[in-house]
Amino acid sequence: MAYLVTFYWGWLLGSLLLGLAMGWIAVVHRGAGVPKVTERWLAALFAALVAFSLSRLVPGRFGYWLDLLLIMFACYLAGCAVGSWLRDWVLSRSRPAG
Amino acid sequence: MHGLFRWRAKWWPGVVPLVVLWIFAALSSIAPVEADLTARAAAALKDAVLDKTRIAVDGRDVTVAADAFSEDGRRGAVASVQAVPGVRLVNDDTRLVPEAKPFVWSAERDVVRVTLGGSAPLPAVKGKLADVARATLGGVEVADQMNLARGAPPGFEPAALLLIDQIGKLKEGKIAISDGGVTLSGMARELGGREAIAAALKNLPAGFSVTANDLKAPPYVFQAYKDPVALTLTLSGNVPDNNVHAAIAQAASRKFFSEKVVDNLKPSIGAPSGFAAAVMPALGALSRLSTGTLVVSDREVKLSGDALYDAAAAQIRAGLGKDFPQNFQFKPDISVKPASAPVDPTVCQQLFSDLLGQAKVRFESARATIDPDSAGLLDRLVEIALRCPTSNIEVGGHTDTDGEDGANQALSEKRAQAVVDYLVKAGLPASRFTAVGYGSTQPVATNDTDEGKAQNRRIEFLVR
Repeated sequence: MAYLVTFYWGWLLGSLLLGLAMGWIAVVHRGAGVPKVTERWLAALFAALVAFSLSRLVPGRFGYWLDLLLIMFACYLAGCAVGSWLRDWVLSRSRPAG
Repeated sequence: MHGLFRWRAKWWPGVVPLVVLWIFAALSSIAPVEADLTARAAAALKDAVLDKTRIAVDGRDVTVAADAFSEDGRRGAVASVQAVPGVRLVNDDTRLVPEAKPFVWSAERDVVRVTLGGSAPLPAVKGKLADVARATLGGVEVADQMNLARGAPPGFEPAALLLIDQIGKLKEGKIAISDGGVTLSGMARELGGREAIAAALKNLPAGFSVTANDLKAPPYVFQAYKDPVALTLTLSGNVPDNNVHAAIAQAASRKFFSEKVVDNLKPSIGAPSGFAAAVMPALGALSRLSTGTLVVSDREVKLSGDALYDAAAAQIRAGLGKDFPQNFQFKPDISVKPASAPVDPTVCQQLFSDLLGQAKVRFESARATIDPDSAGLLDRLVEIALRCPTSNIEVGGHTDTDGEDGANQALSEKRAQAVVDYLVKAGLPASRFTAVGYGSTQPVATNDTDEGKAQNRRIEFLVR
């Protein structure tokens, strides 16, 4: 992982910024989110991919691409979390007290 | 923080551009990643002792295929690739090189090249042996056909280096190591080379011994060529020592009275026993030929050339072999020179006088036995006598004044008769010759000096 981070910090930074933007928007977005059931399936898929990656069951280039996907996705999630939290913090500051 | 749970349902739309980003990243990065990991893996294996190393990178998985020379070396190589940052998996295709039993190594020399074959224990040793062979053998081509194998006996490298040094002393042949046994076959380049190799083999490392030494020495060759045009006798090849050399040179100058002796002989060890005893009579036979070549190769004596007349050819063919020491083989190839044109008696007399002016018929001291050194001269006298078949010839014997007159008279008669006998044996009719002894009555020089006496002791031919 450390190798990927140092070798491809540009792509990872891109993922982080994308997440940051998405998180920033998500706080004020009025539309409906992903249904809970779908979200569970997606989470299960994510967990399965992580398990595949850690167990190193996927060989060769596909294994490398899987690792890259997961680490980019992790950066994205981290960006989302930070973006949403920042937006929430900005909004709470600008809202009149009480 | 509880807001995160609420907001997360709205993060998903960003996954679509993220996947697009990932596709770009995946496609554009794969080649540089694989190249980088290949370079790093190769660098990690740089100092490992391996043969036929191949590194293949697929994604971040590295496949290492190589021949290792020990189990530790094999595991160490895999571990060092595993430790390269970025490597995800190492597929271990390494193996131990096969063990050679017995461990055989060889160096073979033929006309054009030296071939190193068999097994070497390590790539570095293999390279060193080939390099040393090239340095030792100068311009000779060295073909490296060595394989790598485990199981070399201790001390293999110094033993092989010592043997490479010996292959330079061979003309052709093979030197091989099989475990601790050394075998040698072939022929040494020079006389004495076989002995030099045997001496060097005493320095083989402990654990090595010579199991078979079938090296042969090159033939011991002595050559003499009588050139009737240039009037030279060329001696070349080997002689055992300086004493024999001097004896041969002296004998040559006595037997070949009209030729200049060109002496290219060089002393060398390894002569067959009885060498001088074979060369001396063979030179005598050569002196009787008009033109000829004598080659003594080990114990084989080859004499080829043209005798001056039929009987001489027969005598040389039949007689020479008997003079040789045992174990010497005589291979004569004697033909007869075409007879020269007849001349009238005056010319004949002139030819006799000229020839006897160059050399004298020699006898054993105070006896009437013709010295074998004079055979060449007598054959030339026979040849002249054959050219004037109608004339009668008086063979006159003369002595110096030493001793009693009666004894000198008898000696001169016997010596003249001995010469006549030689001529008759050569096939000339006895009726043409008269043997006359003059004792010391007709001196041609003073008898007061040794030099003068030597001139007075003589045989003369007088055409009547």
